[in-house]
Amino acid sequence: MSTLNTINFGVEANSQLQSTLKEFSTAKQAKLAEWTIPTRKTEAWKYSAKRLGMSTSEVSSAASNDATNEAYVEAYSLDCDTLIITNGKLTQALPNVEGLSVTSFADINHSQSKEVASGAIASSDKLMFADLNAAFLQNGIFIELADNQHITKPLKIVFQQTGEGNSFPRVFIKLGKSSSMTVIEESSTNSGLSATDIVSKQNTAILNSVTDIHVSDNAKLTFLKMNLDKAGYRHIASTGVSLMRDARFNSYCLSLGNQLNRHDLLVKMMGPGAECDLNGICVTTDKQHVDCHTCIEHIAPNCTSNENYRCIADKQSQIVFNGRIHIHRDAQKTLGSMSNKNLLLSSEAEIDSKPELEIYADDVKCAHGTTIGQLDETELYYLKTRGINHEQAKLMLTLGFVLEVVRATPVIEIAEYWEKTLANILSFKL
Amino acid sequence: MLEIKNLHVSVDGKEILKGLNLSVKPGEVHAIMGPNGSGKSTLSQVIAGNEAYEITSGSITYQGKDLLEMATEERAREGVFLAFQYPVEIPGVSNLQFMKTAINNIRHHRGLDEINVAEFMKQAKAKSQQVDLDPAFLKRGVNEGFSGGEKKRNEIMQMLMLEPTLAVLDETDSGLDIDALKVVADGVNALRAPDKSVVMITHYQRLLDYIVPDYVHVLARGQIIKSGGKELALELEDKGYAWLGIEEATA
Repeated sequence: MSTLNTINFGVEANSQLQSTLKEFSTAKQAKLAEWTIPTRKTEAWKYSAKRLGMSTSEVSSAASNDATNEAYVEAYSLDCDTLIITNGKLTQALPNVEGLSVTSFADINHSQSKEVASGAIASSDKLMFADLNAAFLQNGIFIELADNQHITKPLKIVFQQTGEGNSFPRVFIKLGKSSSMTVIEESSTNSGLSATDIVSKQNTAILNSVTDIHVSDNAKLTFLKMNLDKAGYRHIASTGVSLMRDARFNSYCLSLGNQLNRHDLLVKMMGPGAECDLNGICVTTDKQHVDCHTCIEHIAPNCTSNENYRCIADKQSQIVFNGRIHIHRDAQKTLGSMSNKNLLLSSEAEIDSKPELEIYADDVKCAHGTTIGQLDETELYYLKTRGINHEQAKLMLTLGFVLEVVRATPVIEIAEYWEKTLANILSFKL
Repeated sequence: MLEIKNLHVSVDGKEILKGLNLSVKPGEVHAIMGPNGSGKSTLSQVIAGNEAYEITSGSITYQGKDLLEMATEERAREGVFLAFQYPVEIPGVSNLQFMKTAINNIRHHRGLDEINVAEFMKQAKAKSQQVDLDPAFLKRGVNEGFSGGEKKRNEIMQMLMLEPTLAVLDETDSGLDIDALKVVADGVNALRAPDKSVVMITHYQRLLDYIVPDYVHVLARGQIIKSGGKELALELEDKGYAWLGIEEATA
């Protein structure tokens, strides 16, 4: 068993941080001694442990301190403000947007530091890689939208990684009361490996990112996430959201396959009347692997959560979906619904879907449904009766299966880009 | 146009059609009536090419070709169209994308180039208005969230777009209010031409007030047991199927 208590964090890695954050990071370093590298027997990593590096040095070697100046290349055109973090370091001037303050962790005040240290992910004791991120914390970005501010132009945050070694970017987003904005989180890694042989020629690097979000009373965050990682990388992302009274969080996450693409999404319904709507699209091909773990903690009463994840696995790829809804004793009048529909396009592909409902309140409505299947014969037949050939009908239905969710994405430019990307990935089959 | 001889069809080992004969000439409109469970929908599905149905004997010739040898999509490209009794919902595939792909498949079969996008949009808008569907429907998923009547009108709109040579309507009139029924009837009448034929499967004489058939057939127990002109429908309406010695099966 590989333990993590031998990690060398470098000389006072977190020395530049404000004292609260430094204590937070140091405490997480100590906590790592309790963790072991996940194996098949680790429930949260049952299907994905084999995709991790199995040695302590692999999961914890930090990237070289020099952030490379490799230019970020936009994959789609969108009018937005952009924040680029390369190998864990900010490589571009902070955007200047009215009502929005973007500050390096080195410059935040005491109360802001406390918020970072008590975010949904920061305070979780279940996420080893998020703890690893905190243990390696050197810096981060604190984004705060003032009360009553509404920003229509999306803010794009890019986690870029190049070369060898892991990186540990961390962002904290706080929306003030009755404010609203759209955040796009994009990862962009480049290992220079080809897509066909990602398992045997793996790069040891892991992009280990944490995004903690606090949505204050009556505020609304629209959150889009996508990984545009090149083949060969492993990407482990943790997204945590605390929703206060009447707050809203709508997420649209596109998870494309890679050596490993793991996303932990934790949403805590802290205030009454909060609502979240989690949408996910996972598409894998070749020998790729995607693992999405979502957890909705219903802590306050009268909250609503909806979840809709669609997964397509082709060739020898694998997708894991684990959706948990935890309704605490006081969370009466909760409305929860979760749907996970899966499509297998090849007999060698694998999808492991596990809905988990844990309910301690007695006056709630909670529904979940999971389907795993092949294409619907009736739908195929209907398309063919209109003259459409079999292969084309299959492609239309396969794409349609995920486009239902893609088209709900509120940023049109991104919906179009996703549609194009998915059409490209899936038509490889034809 | 369509020549069905001694057709026997089974589903899951149960024989539904038991020696059906039907001859449809170009330009003719035939109505097929009959009680529930008589095999009306089976006939329409077999013509369209549903592989769930097993043809145990008999033949269907369409424009001199063996229809049963043709794949579902080939039949459509050769001009066979089925308006479904229960149109399928396909969320995620837009009506526009669906129709454009279908038209281009058919055009390709006829040796024509892909349809010009502007021309296609113009047609799609015009035909949707013709069947009283808001053109905004075009961007939505195929039949996604459509009411029963909207689905039926969408079938007619597809028929108008694809301009089939042989249109089979499977209870397209069922569940429609009188306005929607008129819309459907107008659509079918617009298609009528000396070189095109229509087979309407219906439960109700009401449709035949708006689309006047050349022939009316009664299908019962897997066979056509009586044929006649449009007056046969009125007689059926008046006397019921019991007049022909048929008990209405409970569906």
